[in-house]
Amino acid sequence: MIEFDKFTLDNGLKVIVHKDASTPLAAVNILYNIGAKDENPEQTGFAHLFEHLMFGGSVNIPNYDEPLQQVGGDNNAWTNNDVTNYYLTVPKENLETGFWLESDRMLSLAFTQKSLDVQKAVVIEEFKQHYFNQPYGDVWLHLRPLAYKKHPYQWSTIGKCIEHIENAQLQDVKDFFFHHYAPNNAVLVVSGNIETDEVKRLAEKWFGPIERREIAARNLPVEPKQTEFRSLHLERDVPYDAIYMAFHMGSRIDQDYYKVDLLSDILSNGQSSRIFQTLIKEKNLFSTIDAYLTGDFEPGLFVISGKLTEGVSMEDAEKAIWEVLDEVSATKADEYELQKVKNKIESSLVFSEISFLNKAMNIAQHEITGQAEDINLEVEKYNKVSTDDLQKMAQKILIKENCSTLYYHAKKQ
Amino acid sequence: MEKLNRNLPPQFKTIEHVDIPKSKQEVLSNEIPVHIISGGSQDVLKIEMIFNAGIWHQKLPLIAGTCNSMLNEGTEKYSAAQLAEKFDFYGAYIAYNNSQHDASVCLYTLNKYLDETLDLLEEIIKRPTFPKKEFKTILSNKKQSYLVNREKTNALAKEKFNSLIYGEKHPYANIFKASAFDEVQLDDIKTYYKDRYTSDNCRIIVSGKMDNSILSKIEDRFGASAWSTKSSNIEIKHEFQISNEKKVFVLKKDAVQSSIRIGRPLFNKTHPDFAGIMLLNLVLGGYFGSRLMQNIREDKGYTYGINSLLLSHLKSGHFAIVTEVGKDVCKAAISEIYKEISRLRVELVPEEELILVKNFFSGEILRSFDSPFALSESLRGNLPFGFDNSYYEKFLQEIKGTSSQKIMELANTYFKEEDLYEVVVGENKA
Repeated sequence: MIEFDKFTLDNGLKVIVHKDASTPLAAVNILYNIGAKDENPEQTGFAHLFEHLMFGGSVNIPNYDEPLQQVGGDNNAWTNNDVTNYYLTVPKENLETGFWLESDRMLSLAFTQKSLDVQKAVVIEEFKQHYFNQPYGDVWLHLRPLAYKKHPYQWSTIGKCIEHIENAQLQDVKDFFFHHYAPNNAVLVVSGNIETDEVKRLAEKWFGPIERREIAARNLPVEPKQTEFRSLHLERDVPYDAIYMAFHMGSRIDQDYYKVDLLSDILSNGQSSRIFQTLIKEKNLFSTIDAYLTGDFEPGLFVISGKLTEGVSMEDAEKAIWEVLDEVSATKADEYELQKVKNKIESSLVFSEISFLNKAMNIAQHEITGQAEDINLEVEKYNKVSTDDLQKMAQKILIKENCSTLYYHAKKQ
Repeated sequence: MEKLNRNLPPQFKTIEHVDIPKSKQEVLSNEIPVHIISGGSQDVLKIEMIFNAGIWHQKLPLIAGTCNSMLNEGTEKYSAAQLAEKFDFYGAYIAYNNSQHDASVCLYTLNKYLDETLDLLEEIIKRPTFPKKEFKTILSNKKQSYLVNREKTNALAKEKFNSLIYGEKHPYANIFKASAFDEVQLDDIKTYYKDRYTSDNCRIIVSGKMDNSILSKIEDRFGASAWSTKSSNIEIKHEFQISNEKKVFVLKKDAVQSSIRIGRPLFNKTHPDFAGIMLLNLVLGGYFGSRLMQNIREDKGYTYGINSLLLSHLKSGHFAIVTEVGKDVCKAAISEIYKEISRLRVELVPEEELILVKNFFSGEILRSFDSPFALSESLRGNLPFGFDNSYYEKFLQEIKGTSSQKIMELANTYFKEEDLYEVVVGENKA
């Protein structure tokens, strides 16, 4: 059970406080309800580029990092298709420095041309490092547009292409900020060895004066239901063939999510899982293979990705995956197997609650998709899932006409 | 209402010293030392069994790592599949760690299933059977991941750099060819297990939510008597073979970025200059505000990240700057790296910068000891050197006492340009 206090400032900023007395530190986590899905299709990669610019100085504080390091703090941020999350940790005595820094960059940025130019170059190097200078690095740049034809999940957070980053202009940056960054479009979670009264005082003092802003209405195109199998073949200079299968499923917020999550666990969580035992250990068809969910806030994907063992043909490998998937649709899993994955979920939740920063991030995600209180209902929701549910989900999702398969061929030397 | 001045930073406190929670040492009846770190808010435990069974002691490549990762691939009582089934059912995790000197098996478990998971741990430590089928699968999969890894410029740069500063055959470089995977013999793995995974070659670190029963549960499984035959512990000698060649380029066709490593062999954390070098390293490339990061990323935009590190091995250590940069700016990036090193030799680090780095480092110490598991990780790294975690309390004081003058002296002693090794992996020579 994670306990917390919750209040909302007049400007709409939601604030949540979780006390964890086992640490000498405190975390300040701000989650903005803005991600790559909110981008213009001709200006992709912008939400993430913008995250970099948030470190380029704010309206009253020319340098974000230095004052934080000065008080023993550290920080980072991440962006995905749904949200942008900023976090810092400080010795608990220096919590106010975190409020000072975070509130100023919510108020307004410095918006300098120099910062934009440099961060465009940095993000382009990040793009190259993760997507082009790694074996199999470009998979998602191709798998997303194969699976999504209308919905903005068709592009990666980093962007569709390097040109989109290169074209970003300072005026776009300013517009983006004032349309998406606002107290009424964010959740602030403070965790660690702190008291709610003190957080309340600091929140009123630093964030209270920031005015509410008009947030651009979110009106995302709906992805039409996939009705036939899709495939794409790529050939690259990599040592082994690989296969990636993406199936449409519901969103992270759906009640069905818990059923599908346990279905993916039966297939691939841990060494006793079906895919690991059958395809790696018994048949030696794959050197690595996983099934997992993207866990997106909008309808997401159930993904299977595997690297083939040397000498195995793509056809045999694919056929073997379908055999495992058809089995889980055709025959109900037994109660023991379901109990096993439920135990694993419960355990992984317990382990994830060791870190006060991790807890802050999780609370923020629950608040932005519904309400923070839901964080304590997770185990119960998983426990309600039946073997019947698993089979139904498999029959609905793990079928050919709902599947997009990327065949990634190793170039013959 | 307080008057708000957003231009001025709030008051803050400097951390003068940190109280690192102490570990307690117990000894089992068969003399296995057990280090106990108690704490945390969750009912979870980490039990790490560490053996003097790392790469250093193997006669051929891959023996130590394969032996370590095969421990749960079958025991006298259970097959690999049965073991996996049981660990998963109790929501427990088993992690393997194979390093230069040590190898360990680490159990993460909920307290409520400790009896069951400890029984499994006992099985895999005392009665592994090393089945041939699993051996083949594991080696074949390891070989594939090795070959995938060799497609990465940074992996190639690391390998080449380590071979220059330690010697191709030295375990600290740990270099082998893909063919080594086909040459490993199962009998060598079994022999290695018999020689190395014994009660007189073992220590245990337990961390997490402790109660009175836990130690006796460990005693029951691992302490009551000596297990396995007495290890031979014949020390293999390894000589460093430091290269005369200082600058090496490795071609990687079609790489859109080049990986750069610049550094040198150095000493480990027992050396009197270690605290000073740590501070020097922080200023240069050891945190986000470092000079390399500010210059090469935040001013020039040549890279997504650049950092420098110090690595302590039991018998040596090294310093390295690590980055991946656009292939067209590789030459410019290298020149800026040398410029930053040179500045440290000729200019005193300004007082404000030094204070900032020291303050940041104090926070880092707090962050790195924030949970019993983190404390256990750090203790594992310290024990071979004869320290416990209180080492860091003293270390922090030494860092705080280091002056700009001292940093400049150290830069002149250890960071001479002619002593540095440079490896570039990419499409074109810088």
